[in-house]
Amino acid sequence: MKLQQYLGGLEGLNDPIDFDTRVFAEPWEKRIFAIHVSMMGLSNHLEGIQDIPSNFDSKYTWADLRERAESMHPFDYFKFRYYEKWVGGVADFLIKGGYINEEEWDAKTAVYLNNADEQLPSVSEPAIDHQVIEYLRKGDSLYRESDRKPQFSAGETVLVRNNHVMLHTRLPGFVRSQKGVIEIVYEGNYTYPNSTGTDGIGEPMPVYCVRFDPKDIWGEHVESKSMIYVDIYEAYMDKLAQ
Amino acid sequence: MSERFKYVEDREMFSAARVKALEALLIEKGIISSEAVDKVIGYFETDMGPFNGAKVVARAWVDPEYKARLLKDTPAAVAEMNFPRGMTGVEGEEMKAVENTSDVHNLIVCTLCSCYPWPLLGLPPYWFKDPSFRARSVREPRAVLKEFGLELDDSVEVRVWDSSAQIRYFVLPERPAGTEGFTEEQLAALLTPEAMQGAAKVKVG
Repeated sequence: MKLQQYLGGLEGLNDPIDFDTRVFAEPWEKRIFAIHVSMMGLSNHLEGIQDIPSNFDSKYTWADLRERAESMHPFDYFKFRYYEKWVGGVADFLIKGGYINEEEWDAKTAVYLNNADEQLPSVSEPAIDHQVIEYLRKGDSLYRESDRKPQFSAGETVLVRNNHVMLHTRLPGFVRSQKGVIEIVYEGNYTYPNSTGTDGIGEPMPVYCVRFDPKDIWGEHVESKSMIYVDIYEAYMDKLAQ
Repeated sequence: MSERFKYVEDREMFSAARVKALEALLIEKGIISSEAVDKVIGYFETDMGPFNGAKVVARAWVDPEYKARLLKDTPAAVAEMNFPRGMTGVEGEEMKAVENTSDVHNLIVCTLCSCYPWPLLGLPPYWFKDPSFRARSVREPRAVLKEFGLELDDSVEVRVWDSSAQIRYFVLPERPAGTEGFTEEQLAALLTPEAMQGAAKVKVG
């Protein structure tokens, strides 16, 4: 397990929450956000991408950034602000993919540290810009037509599995090994961009909205009259033993 | 003390240079163009943002039939609006509206990270990404909301929606009293991202 996958319900983070309504805290945060989005928009799994004149030739999706956020040392995860984590995640992907290396990144950083007014290189490529905005408009749906039929039905009580996670999961820790009631069986199947290995998702499969009573999870002392709804892939669920 | 407990000197200047260097390398290597980053930033200022969600909510407030359609099939109802193309685009491929009433209050969270309905609400604010919010909102939503200035009556049921798979949720808040003669435009102006995530009530004036 990784702490980042178990944040929901975690005790001890009891400082008042900073009700900071800003989306970005610093101007540079906008730019790392947009770099990440541009890379997702140039991912080599997208339709028609072969015609776009970019040297990026990797599959790059949310899953790659999430894997990296969940792989961080938990102390660093809490220490760094949201987009600081993105800088590390995006750069790690580019370095491991051979697109950039640490030395040239350090050297270029030194240039801009010495002179913040130094301009970015100017290379226009409208086809890249168009592709990235088209990606934003079209999306990259995880929905798949498939013959795989749901094994559970609405109203059924199910047991959430606790599969071993090596890297990344879409199952929040607080519902693991808990019982929940299926609220909605979503139509169709949903894939995940990367296989999560022993965790179990990646192939198209049904997804359910499952309702949990917080009293079952944390005990009778928790607040009254509240319910939690979590969307859960079928690979994370078991039939309840009779 | 370990390096782990320190930030670099000039933390923000360093990050700014680091990110600018990354962007420069990507341009030099022909991965992105020099305009790509600005175009993406601009897209979220003009086309995708909370101004879209506000229009959807205002329409639902004035048109009960539209509201029923919105709650039943959110993407189809959103498609009825005269929005720029892209409402089923990135992080809006599957969206679902949940309704606040006098008996039910909904709160949206993403305990694993920061899933958020981009086309309708834009990008997530810092409170939504805060590890403390993500830790506490599922276990003690009433206490969290009270800190945000929203005190719920004991009789109100709280539903917390954790966006962990394909659905991106948003809240259809209650229409505030005293807005009877308001136009859709005036109503839309009352809405905030916080109200459409269940972290605040809609206030008049």
